[in-house]
Amino acid sequence: MKQTKSLTKGFTVLMLAAMVALTACGSGGSDKEESSTSSTSTDSGKSNSKAAAVKLKIMWQGSDIRHQAMLKTQEVYTSKNPSITFSPEYMAWDDYWKKLPTLAASHSMPDVLHMDGAYIQEYATRGTLEDLSDIDLTGVIDDKVLENLKIDGKLYGIPISRNAQGIAFNKEALTAAGIELPKKDWTWDDYFNFARNARAKLPADVYPISDSDTWDFYQYYQTANGKGPIIQEDGKKFNLDKELFMKYYGIYADFRKEKIVPPADMVSAFKENDPQADPMASGKVMTRGATVGSVGALEQLLPGKVDVVNIPVGPAGGGWAQPTIFLSVSTDSKHKEEAKAFIKWFVTEKEAGETYGLNFGIPIYDEIYTALEPTLQPKDKLGKALYDTALDKALPFYPAAAGWTEWVDNYKKTMDAVMFGQKSIEAAYNEISKAGNAIAEKQGGK
Amino acid sequence: MKAEAVYKPAATKPRLMKKLRGANENNLAGYLFISPWLLGFLLLTAWPIIQSFYLSFTEYSLLEAPIWTGTDNYVNIFTNDNEFRTSLKVTFMFVLFSVPLKLFFSLMVAILLNKNVKGMNLYRTAIYFPSLIGGSIAVSALWRNMFNRNGYFNHVLEWFGIEGMGWITNPHTSLGTLILLNTWQFGSTMVIFLAGLKQIPNELYESASVDGASKVRKFFHITLPMLSPVMFFNLVLGIIGSFQMFTSAFIITQGGPINSTYMYALFLYDKAFKHYQMGYASALAWILLVIVALMTAINFLVSRYWVFYETDGGKSK
Repeated sequence: MKQTKSLTKGFTVLMLAAMVALTACGSGGSDKEESSTSSTSTDSGKSNSKAAAVKLKIMWQGSDIRHQAMLKTQEVYTSKNPSITFSPEYMAWDDYWKKLPTLAASHSMPDVLHMDGAYIQEYATRGTLEDLSDIDLTGVIDDKVLENLKIDGKLYGIPISRNAQGIAFNKEALTAAGIELPKKDWTWDDYFNFARNARAKLPADVYPISDSDTWDFYQYYQTANGKGPIIQEDGKKFNLDKELFMKYYGIYADFRKEKIVPPADMVSAFKENDPQADPMASGKVMTRGATVGSVGALEQLLPGKVDVVNIPVGPAGGGWAQPTIFLSVSTDSKHKEEAKAFIKWFVTEKEAGETYGLNFGIPIYDEIYTALEPTLQPKDKLGKALYDTALDKALPFYPAAAGWTEWVDNYKKTMDAVMFGQKSIEAAYNEISKAGNAIAEKQGGK
Repeated sequence: MKAEAVYKPAATKPRLMKKLRGANENNLAGYLFISPWLLGFLLLTAWPIIQSFYLSFTEYSLLEAPIWTGTDNYVNIFTNDNEFRTSLKVTFMFVLFSVPLKLFFSLMVAILLNKNVKGMNLYRTAIYFPSLIGGSIAVSALWRNMFNRNGYFNHVLEWFGIEGMGWITNPHTSLGTLILLNTWQFGSTMVIFLAGLKQIPNELYESASVDGASKVRKFFHITLPMLSPVMFFNLVLGIIGSFQMFTSAFIITQGGPINSTYMYALFLYDKAFKHYQMGYASALAWILLVIVALMTAINFLVSRYWVFYETDGGKSK
């Protein structure tokens, strides 16, 4: 009885919230326009208070330390520009990407929002993001970098940091167990051998590596071996190498038998950055994937114990190192100029960089990083170390194209079935590639 | 005659008009009074329902205008959607186990709470209390902590030397934990049973006692038949509610591991808000409506064989 109600109630609340938000936006917008015209006439003497009070809606995702840093940065901006205040909203990665589609659909996306390399195509191609090419970043971000990030010739997000993918490991526990630490540019064979060797030396309920059930880690293996990304040509071509797929998951199947990876029900319960459920912070696993922008959160859970290495490499290289974190402006925003001004300040001003530090990765503007360098904390240094180790062998960042989110979800579900022993690797390959080819064909036909 | 014939309609017309207008005015006042509800219903319930019916025949990504695709969505759902079949199977399993269990437990507790014991009101409050927060996010989060791999439940097992497992993250037990949660939230069902029990006249039990009926006999021949309308009510609501089960699956398991708790409502939500397939999700919603309506119709048909209404004088229709 409760649940019948809760569902309808949920929808009602959603609709109500949408209505309230819409009316609030509407009236808020007109108010400001009025006051801005009046204030320009009266306060024209002062340069700083030219603009009327504007409340920028801003939204981002991340861990708690990033939230704190971001809130502080906004405070600094408001102290410099008293007319601009913020209405912030922040959450963890999963929740963020769950919430954004509904906001996009109801045309109520915040003025300034956090975008990620994995999603920006989807949002840009659907016309929800403003072209930001006119923000002048000469001397701040290399033109080539910006040119590379353009989608159909337009810049839909300003990169705020250099990011990279690597692997974090528990230096202290591995050393204590007498296990040789991973070294930069280790190969996939080294990685698997590291796991085999470490198994013998670790306590029974501690595992060297975790299981692999998401598409990105297999893709690192495939691209390192020179077979290219899985999703190509903006989603119109699908490329899953059967031989490598069978080999990679065959190794994990053996690892499950030999208890080199944790049991499936334990793997399913892992939740990164949760003190009790994080694979590394809980002490269950010795290694896990980490990025420049997120390894700081792990360091805080295991102070002084974490070190980093790049993603295992193959003949073609391995991992990625490039900007993947952006600030974008919604096309529905009523304060586009103010939003752009804030973003420009965010990436170019030292004062901003000093406040948010390395919480989004390494600040994109070198001068900011240079200024920060003497004051870096261990968690920040770890991010920098990760970037440095990943840079020279890095391959491009290969995101899922627009319209592939469901395939990404199903990849994990299918591989979970393999992990729990309910499906053969071959059957999984067939299912995943059938679904992938169907989407590619559909998108190619458009 | 002629004059009369002309006159008559003229006379009745104003009277009729007045009457009509009067009636309309009365209605208008009535409509005005219910307008907050009516507007809410039309704008927030009726309109979305009509919209969703239209959208179910389209491909709609939320961000672009819907494209008419006819019955494609329905054809796809029934012919090549494995997840549809999986989620339907999971949901039927959930309904099949959780509804009878919940009815059984709430009835048992209601009977216990119907006894004349000192401080009974305190017991009733204490037992109903968890239901005040029932079905909420908080309870789901609590459940997750209880049945996690390093949850409280496994700690208790440890005292007895039993090694626990990840109850939520094991595909064989995950649905069970959700059924258990749903059963545990028996409060509102129990209160309705309790009210039903209070309605049963004491004379029936007294006369049965005089005739020497045992407790078991009294339960099966007085309590159960007298309670059958309430039982029916709880059954129908329980089935409808269980078909729409969402919160705990969403919070605790996210449908996993490997779709073992992929409830229909969660599947629908994923299609709509995760994969931007509003049209497809709308079609799923209409299919759910038809399924629930069918189940309820079957319930009503079957009810005439076991539900006993006192007003019918005990005769079956």
